[in-house]
Amino acid sequence: MFSVVNATGGYGKTVIIQGVSLQVGKAEIVALLGRNGVGKSTLMRFATGLVPAMSGHVEIDGRLAPIAPAGRARLGLGYVPQGRFVFPRMTVAENIAVAAEANGHDGRAAVAAALREFPILGPKASDLAGGLSGGQQQILALARALATQPRILLLDEPTEGVQPSLVDEMAGTLLRINRERGIAVLVAEQDLDFCLSIAERAYVMEKGTIRLETTRDQLRADKRLQQDLLGV
Amino acid sequence: MEPDYLATVLLSSVSSASILLIATIGLAVVFGLMGVINLAHGEFLMIGAYAALTATQRGLPFALAIPVAVVITMLIGACVEVLIIRRLYGRLFDTMLATWGLSMIFYQLAVLIFGTVTPGIGMPQFGITIGRYSLAGYPLLMIAVAALMLAFVYGLLTRTVYGMKARAAIQQPEIAQAIGIESARVNTMTFAIGCGLAGFAGAVLLPIVPATPAMGFAFVVKAFLAVVVAGPVALTGSALTAIGLGGGASLTASFLTSVAGDAVFFVATAALLWLFPLGISASWRRRM
Repeated sequence: MFSVVNATGGYGKTVIIQGVSLQVGKAEIVALLGRNGVGKSTLMRFATGLVPAMSGHVEIDGRLAPIAPAGRARLGLGYVPQGRFVFPRMTVAENIAVAAEANGHDGRAAVAAALREFPILGPKASDLAGGLSGGQQQILALARALATQPRILLLDEPTEGVQPSLVDEMAGTLLRINRERGIAVLVAEQDLDFCLSIAERAYVMEKGTIRLETTRDQLRADKRLQQDLLGV
Repeated sequence: MEPDYLATVLLSSVSSASILLIATIGLAVVFGLMGVINLAHGEFLMIGAYAALTATQRGLPFALAIPVAVVITMLIGACVEVLIIRRLYGRLFDTMLATWGLSMIFYQLAVLIFGTVTPGIGMPQFGITIGRYSLAGYPLLMIAVAALMLAFVYGLLTRTVYGMKARAAIQQPEIAQAIGIESARVNTMTFAIGCGLAGFAGAVLLPIVPATPAMGFAFVVKAFLAVVVAGPVALTGSALTAIGLGGGASLTASFLTSVAGDAVFFVATAALLWLFPLGISASWRRRM
């Protein structure tokens, strides 16, 4: 339902990703693996439209995605950026409400749903998001993306700087969301265990291109591949 | 010093601080929500004043001339944003230069259209007396107008969907777009609102500050400094700095001379910026 076709892009004249293609099926969870600096984040930003295409394009439901990031969000593309980037001088509730309202959904209902889904945010609802801990901000960034009611969720390094207990919880939440609401997930990660615990299939990136496509079982079995590509 | 005199001086100082605040709020909104310093802010004030003046000369009651001024300045503001400002986001000094140039164009246009001297409109005649002293009522009314204007803008930015979108768009511009906020449209709206607030200020202050092509300049320097000293929590911060600096300067002026008042304003501004290089609100945990 979601595909990136022949993506080439970068910053200024510097090409970071070259000829990258990948697909995520309906309600599928796919991992995007690779070491630091291979272009995972750039690919994610290409997918959202924040990095303009030098060539290639993005398709959502077989249709060409609009150029503007806001248009893609409205077609059902949710994005949790690396480094969280919550709106710091807005309350937790406002962070969620604004995402819902921007896509034509009721903000109040979205906040209520998010607080049910992520009870950890409950006591913080009227605090400024900038004052939350790193893990809480990551949860909030996820809640904010879900408030847009996406059909495909792009997660960029969601476990970075998050304490292990929260990482397990996040994996559980993602699996549940995926199962209950049929939201497809593309997750860029360095944490192999996290990916293996949720994704069925993975793409491995190297130097701005897709080096190979593999399944969870192949990857789990192949220690040499893990060592070679991911340095784990 | 007798209490009547003190009360009179205090009231008129709060009143002139409120007048500065009325003139500042639009600038604070545009800076706080777009990171743009609009050096043509004073000229939007001037346009508002001339719009209200022209409307009253055509026979419209003053109370209706104010909304006319707001609509006209908002429309011009929207055009300016689309034609100039949006090409310069994230380039603070370039926008300052561009809006400064714009201010000169507006000034010259005003000179060409209206001449350098224009008739004022009479101040509504009502007032209060404290003991032997009497004060004109209209400037005192500006205290209430400033409070209402502040409350309105605060509510607009913190209680409405537009306000949330506008704050999101300035705090994380890319992410705001990625979650579906049309930043360009929001920014046009914000700039138009900022200009509309300037237009409102020019119109509502018209009985006190007559419309002249150069009137904007008198306000923009102090308004600009109030916003810069205020820092990131632009609205509450500017309210505080405009009242504090404006009131302090006005008090000093009452007891000494108006030059001393201005000196106090600028020395206090310099001292505050030395103490708080990022503005007094840099560490505040507030939304606006």
